[in-house]
Amino acid sequence: MTFNEQELVNGCKQRNRFSQKQLYDVFGGKLFAICMRYTKNRSDAEDVLQDAFIKIYENISSFRNDSPLEYWLKSIVVNTALNHLRQQKYLKDLDDIEVYENGIADREITLGDFQMQQLMGFIQELPPGCQVIFNLYAIEGYQHNEIAQKLGISEGTSKSQYSRARGILQQKLNREKRFDDGSVRNTQL
Amino acid sequence: MDPSEIHNFEDQWKKGFDEASETPPPSVWAGIEARLDREEDDIIPLWWRSPKLWYAAASIAALLLVGGGLWLSNRSGISDKTGVEMAAKTASSTAEEKVNRKESADPAVKKQESTELIASDHSTKGSVSGTEKSTAFTKQPDHKPLGNSVGTSETLIATGKQLATRNNADRSLAVSGNERISRQSGLSPEIKTIASEENISPAKTDFNPNKAVAVSRENKIQVDLLEPNQYSDLDVYMQKRYVFFKADQKAEEPLPAPKKHTEYYAAVGLMPASFNPDVKIKAAPLAFSQMASSRQKAVTGTSEAGNSYAIQTQGGMRLSKHWSMEMGLNYLKGNSRYEGGGYLLDATSSASSNVLESALSGISTNQDYTTGKNQQIVGSNAFYIDVNKKVNNDYQYLQLPVQAGFTLNPDKKLSYSVLGGMMANFFLNNQLESASGETITTTADDGVYRGMNWAATTGLRLNYRLSSKWKANLTGSYQKAVSSGFKANQSLESHPYLYGVSWGFRYSF
Repeated sequence: MTFNEQELVNGCKQRNRFSQKQLYDVFGGKLFAICMRYTKNRSDAEDVLQDAFIKIYENISSFRNDSPLEYWLKSIVVNTALNHLRQQKYLKDLDDIEVYENGIADREITLGDFQMQQLMGFIQELPPGCQVIFNLYAIEGYQHNEIAQKLGISEGTSKSQYSRARGILQQKLNREKRFDDGSVRNTQL
Repeated sequence: MDPSEIHNFEDQWKKGFDEASETPPPSVWAGIEARLDREEDDIIPLWWRSPKLWYAAASIAALLLVGGGLWLSNRSGISDKTGVEMAAKTASSTAEEKVNRKESADPAVKKQESTELIASDHSTKGSVSGTEKSTAFTKQPDHKPLGNSVGTSETLIATGKQLATRNNADRSLAVSGNERISRQSGLSPEIKTIASEENISPAKTDFNPNKAVAVSRENKIQVDLLEPNQYSDLDVYMQKRYVFFKADQKAEEPLPAPKKHTEYYAAVGLMPASFNPDVKIKAAPLAFSQMASSRQKAVTGTSEAGNSYAIQTQGGMRLSKHWSMEMGLNYLKGNSRYEGGGYLLDATSSASSNVLESALSGISTNQDYTTGKNQQIVGSNAFYIDVNKKVNNDYQYLQLPVQAGFTLNPDKKLSYSVLGGMMANFFLNNQLESASGETITTTADDGVYRGMNWAATTGLRLNYRLSSKWKANLTGSYQKAVSSGFKANQSLESHPYLYGVSWGFRYSF
């Protein structure tokens, strides 16, 4: 879809419904994928997306062209998702945890072997704290000190939660990979 | 994704989800749209603050006024026209009758004719006056359009001329009116004429039916020319503008609020301790002091710490990330020994009393206390026995500590708290082993010890987090009384102090 980003933003600033719809059509899919990553199910993701777009339309006047529009939109969606999780008390008790040992040696696994839906499912199955911190660190690219500040936790907690998330995901990837591979189908995990 | 280029775990995920897209269901946009509509309804447009809208409204009002006036004029013109036409018809029929009757040359008919003429004259007069009135009504509000519209002015001029020729006698009136109007507005001669004609009083005007027909025809043309376009047909170009007013400008999305540190906790603990009452006899009892002077030897003893313990309960509140405040209720069993000072033996009664026992008996205000087991031994039958015997001197206190704490590494598994505060020690009782081996119990009612004395307390606590709610504590404490345990101005002084290590558990709410 071709569109002029500046015109789209200006239209949304003037509360032009057509522009608002166009913005939704252009970015809704990507932003919904982010919502899915931060929530446990599709219904919650829809709620977050709806809230996020309302915030976007309300605050679009504050958008300056000094950063890409997509980056700005993503940051609003991430913040909305975090607020949603906070309301759901998912982020209440994030504690230091022992480093998760999965006992399985890392193999040469690439995510290209997996469907996007599968990967999304793996993330959604993580414990809530791990899920958020994994998203923020591995995918959004925040540093642990930034995550600690964002979530009001210690940097150590962020690191340990991430470590656990990573361990769980590696285990899941390994298991799926082994089941796909007939020669190791009977390997005891 | 090209696996050969991706080696890093995070990069793989990042790249994998960077362009990820999932189509949201249509209900999401429907929900967004509904909320946007609702919010727009809440926005109050400040249209009244826009001058342009005021201009537009004024223009519309003016157009309506002019259009309405013209429409009214048109309506009255039509009715007048009908009247004139009827009058004309009457006149023409009368004229025809007149011709016919002239032919008959009957004077009676002439008389009747004149009567009819008068009647038709009267009826037409009314119509003419109505026409004139309507003309005046139409012309009066806007001289300018008349001045600009040549056709209309000409028609009106013609009408005016027709009317003006009706009666020369009225010209004087017309001229005077004309002069008045020309003085007032300086209009063109034609319009002056019209104005002057407007001032012509219909009552003073003679009426000729032929003239009335002419007027009727002219008037019809005039009304046709004056008939305006309907205002709905006019090309009105309006720009619709809305000014949206938001009462409260929403601030930018704030960063997520930092985690609140306020939490409440309760703790229990057991503290093995070393308690020393630090009793000092400032002025020995008389019998002992006499012995002391005769033997040149001090008769006072010293307190030694014994194995004690305290059962502690605490309730606290974490005020910030590092600071906390806690209160508690403790029971302290402070065991100690008193050594030295010797004792007195009554030769007659075989009663004996050590120096501390004797001193306590000497200061008590309770008669039962002084006449009981610890009766003071005085007199010549008393013998001093210089034996350094250790006697037990055990205390019981109820303690109410109030402490502030500063915690290092509060969110770590192992954290450290520095504590400091004050403690109210409520004296319960003291059990002193007498010289005879019996136990003398002193309570707060005996007037020997203060009911409550203050102590300063400090400590260092190690917290080990067992779970999000439970912590195990190891606290090293030092307490020192800041006031004497005995009542003021007495011969005994005591500043108990305590070292202890407390083990406990804490539960956070």
